[in-house]
Order: sequence, then structure tokens, then C-alpha cells
Amino acid sequence: MCKNPYRLIKAQVLDVITETPSIKTIRFKPEEPMSFSTGQFFEITVPGVGGAPFTPSSRPSQKDVFEVSVMRVGKLTRVIHELKPGDIIGARGPLGNGYPIDYFRGKEILVLGGGCGFAPLRSLMYSLFELSGQFKQLYFRGGCKNPGEFLYRREIEGWYERKDLNIQLTVDKGDDTWKGNVGLVLNILDSVHIDYKTAIAIVCGPPVMMKFGTKKLLEMGFSDEHIYLSMEKNMSCGIGKCGHCRIGTYYACKDGPVFTYSKIKSFPEIWD
Amino acid sequence: MNISPYYLSNTDLNRFLEDLSACFQVYIPIQKENQRFYKEFVPGEPVSLGMPRTFEPLKAFLTRARETVAKDFNEKTPRQGKPIAILGAKACDLKGLKIQDHVFSGRDGADIPDPLYVDFRRDTLIIASDCASCLETCFCMSLGVSPHPQENFDINFSTLQDGYLVETGSDKGKSVIEKSLKLLSPASLDHLRERDNLRAKTAASVMDNIKKNSVPDQEHFKGIIEKNYGSEIWQQEARSCVECGCCTIICPTCHCFLLYDQKDEKSMARLRVWDSCMLKDYARVAGGGNPRAKLWMRLRNRFEKKFDFFPKVAGIYACTGCGRCISGCPAKIDIRRVLHKLVEAHV
Repeated sequence: MCKNPYRLIKAQVLDVITETPSIKTIRFKPEEPMSFSTGQFFEITVPGVGGAPFTPSSRPSQKDVFEVSVMRVGKLTRVIHELKPGDIIGARGPLGNGYPIDYFRGKEILVLGGGCGFAPLRSLMYSLFELSGQFKQLYFRGGCKNPGEFLYRREIEGWYERKDLNIQLTVDKGDDTWKGNVGLVLNILDSVHIDYKTAIAIVCGPPVMMKFGTKKLLEMGFSDEHIYLSMEKNMSCGIGKCGHCRIGTYYACKDGPVFTYSKIKSFPEIWD
Repeated sequence: MNISPYYLSNTDLNRFLEDLSACFQVYIPIQKENQRFYKEFVPGEPVSLGMPRTFEPLKAFLTRARETVAKDFNEKTPRQGKPIAILGAKACDLKGLKIQDHVFSGRDGADIPDPLYVDFRRDTLIIASDCASCLETCFCMSLGVSPHPQENFDINFSTLQDGYLVETGSDKGKSVIEKSLKLLSPASLDHLRERDNLRAKTAASVMDNIKKNSVPDQEHFKGIIEKNYGSEIWQQEARSCVECGCCTIICPTCHCFLLYDQKDEKSMARLRVWDSCMLKDYARVAGGGNPRAKLWMRLRNRFEKKFDFFPKVAGIYACTGCGRCISGCPAKIDIRRVLHKLVEAHV
């Protein structure tokens, strides 16, 4: 008898943190060992309500407690937002393939993110920070609609202090609390001084940002196989059987969700 | 493997099935008005195996339309009862199983296996049978399937005038036959000749269907989706679609499903229900983005999955020519016509 891939691991909610008016972070502790490498995802289920894929935003090296940041967009996420410490949820995973961190060593890296893309990217940045000094250069360029919706704002702003990171942030529309750049994230890429031909770019954010971000990176001279995209699809089974998350000849759940642009660029309408 | 055929008389078929019932829950095809359905076999009732394909696809036995795949936080997959023997499986449905196997079996470690499917596939006995006639919508031979099973069965029955010619196709089938040898006799040359004549007759009727409906052969299918991706064919064909999802639900190759959760006071369960890529929310992501918001895009996607995705990933077109989607469609969207248009547009 092979392992049941649909089985959930019982987990307890430890904390629910309000990040922005529409995003909450759920900290949970599974009753059995779980792990993930950055970019992989979990299926998180509220018993009896339903499940959905979420990429953890926590440190992959932390193996007992995990965090997922969830934007309230529908029935399930509304219930997730109402969770309280002590509540029981189910988790399945890790699923899919994450970022090839080892391959990134010794290279120049640009991380480009937007909106709720900061959730998986925070976990990626933790992984990269743990290998501090092993990359030639590390750039972070992040953008958001407005300061109020800026996920992990305080923490990410704190990264300005880091010596191993060149960071610039921007918002589409500022307010009294915002002293930084205003405008699209694509406009703060000009200050990235790396050898585009050999550098690695990692893009994660809303589809429209991924589309125009990739276009801009290609114009700058990044190569197709060095642009890493985290593709959002509605995975249900997470193991390449239910059909939902197909991209061309791949399933985002088992062949991704992290793809190089070169791997998927020939398929029509990948950004829709 | 010994596949030399046996002969089983009409009267002994019932006894054979009674023997089978000791170890299996036996399902037989029955005719009801002008449709055929599967039902559980009751000893003594008449059985006829030459009929063309049933209304339900064979996949319905292997991944149920709605099934519990996990209970609470338990590892065990809930499924119980005697193994099933399916009688009268048709060649088209057996090709459908190839696609289901590709998706669910784990392909020798290349993929994660689905334990329910793997167990059920291993335990289920498939007794196929030749089609002694065909339906107006049958076009299996366009897809490289002949109306008499040639592979993927445990036992095959060919209908003769006064009995059946019985062949085994697997060790499992062989061991079942060995238990009923008292009912079987070696087939004669006349039996073989009779079978071959009948097979040729049915194949000729299917070919007539194919000619009458101008169905192209699969040798012309290469690249038809890529070449016609921007074609107006999709909008034209989708115009009458009512988005009922029937074409995918009764398709023997379609495998898509959705996991959903249920609970009562004592327990909770994860269920797997068949899903359809023709339905609007199928590919919708959280936040409302939908890569295939228009119905014609979903129709194109259905064809892309069958005639572009599966040949690329599994080396097989995910259509069996069973014609179920034609007879099931309330909008008269005819896969034969669509294929004809796709091939013609780029000859």
C-alpha cells in the first residue's frame, strides 16, 4: 500500500497576526514533522470548510512552526482569517519544487517582488540571508499599491540596515507615513548594477507585475533561463492529477510552482 | 502467456458468472430502452456481451464520481468490499484506462501514485468483449482503436452465434479462467473463423460511420491545436455550448477532479469529486483571476488537453472515439466535426 497523498497532518494554530487590512499571517505547529524548502507550498485545510495552496512565508530552517500569510479573497480565506489560537487545521506537503538555492551560490541575484508576492519571498530572503556572503551581490526591489497594504512593512524596511543587501522599495501611491519611492516597481530597477547576462532574477507578485517585470528584465539583458517565476495557479491535489493547474505540458503543482521563464515561455497565455 | 482461445456456450456463461461471483462483485452491461448501463449481476439473469459501449465510461469504476480519499487525519484510505469484476468492457474504454493509468498509477515511480486507484486497478478484473455492432456515433478506428479489444484486459469475450470465444490477456485473467476450465472447451477453427468474420463486419460498420461523418484519422492530428490556436473554430463551436460539463464527465479519458472537505460532529473527510474544465471556475485563482474566462477558451482547452497535452506527455491522444460526448451534448457539439475542421483548416 503506497502512502496516502491526500492525508492531512493535524496542526494547531498558535497565533494569528494581522498584517494589513486584508492579510493575516497564521502561525501553526504540526503534530508530526514537516519541512519545506523555500518556494515549495503546503495545502492548508480548515476541517470541513476546504483547502487551498499556500507558500509558507517563514524560515525554512525552522522545522516545528510554520507561517502562511493569507489574503482574504473568498469563503475559505474568510474562515482562515477568523481562526483563533488553539484551533485545529490540516496541512499537506511540502508540494512542488522550490528555488534552487544551491545553484544561486556565487552569483549576482535580483529579487523582484510585489504585493502578496512578499509572502513566499520573505521565506526566500531568509534562506538567502542564511547564506550571507555566498552571493556576489544581492538586490531586493519591492513594490506595493500603498503603504497600508505593504506586507511585513516594518520587517522589510529593517532590511535597509543589512550590509549584504541592496534594497529599494516603492509604492504606487504614498501617504503621510511613506518617505520612500513612489511609482511602479519596474521604475526602480535602473539602480540595479549587476551583469544582467549572468545574474539571476527571481520574480514573484501579482500576474500583471510578473508579466511586465519579466518583459523589463529581458529588455535589460537577463537570460530566459535565469529568470525564476513563481506561478500562481489553483492547485487542488498538489500532485499532478486533478488537472487544475496545467501550464502547457506542465502542472504548476508538481513541475513548479517555480519555473524558469525559458521552461514555460513557449506556452500561450502563461500570464493570464 | 497462454492466450489460446476457449469456447464457452451461452448456457454456461451464467454458470461462469456464478463462479466468478464467489470472489468478485460482478457487473454486467444491460440494455435499457436505447441505452446501455452497468448493473450488478444477479444469478440467472440473461447476459449479453456484444453490445456497443455503455452510457457510463469504465473510469467510473476506478475513480468514482464522488469518493472519500481521506478521513480525519488518518493515513488509511477508506474503501471496502469485494473486488469488482467488470464484464463487457469495450476497446474504447480500455484505451481510456491507459490515460487514467498514466495519471493515477504513479508510472513506475515517475510520479506520485494514487493509492485508491492503484489498489482498485490491481484488484479489479476486467473482462472485455468485442463489439458485435456499433452506434452511429462510434469512430474508434480514427483513433487507432479497433472495435475488438486487443490489449489492457484480463479476459476477452467474443460473441459468437451460440456462445463465446474466450481469451486471456493477463496472469490475473488466466488464473480466473483456470478455475472455470470445466465449463470451457478448446475453440475450434470454425469458432475462430466466425469470430474473425464478425470482427470484420463490425469494423466495416465503424469505417462506414467514419466515412459518412468525414472523421479524419489520427495520423493527421499532429499540431492541429497549435496551428489552430487563434482560429475562429473555437468561438463558432462554443456558441451553442451550455456549459453543462457532460462531455468531460462521460469521457473515458477525462480525469480532472476537485478535492473538497466535509464534516459532521464526529469526523471530517476529504472527498474527490469529478470536475470539468468546461466549467467557468475550473481554473479561477484566489482573487478572481481566470486564465480561461471565456467559454470558447475552455472548449479550446478541452481539445488542447486531448490532442496536444497527452500526446506530448504520454504519447497518446486522449480520445477513444467512443462518441459519448457527441450523444451526450445537448448543444450538438460534435467532436468529429471539430476534428474535421481543425484538420481541414491546415492541410
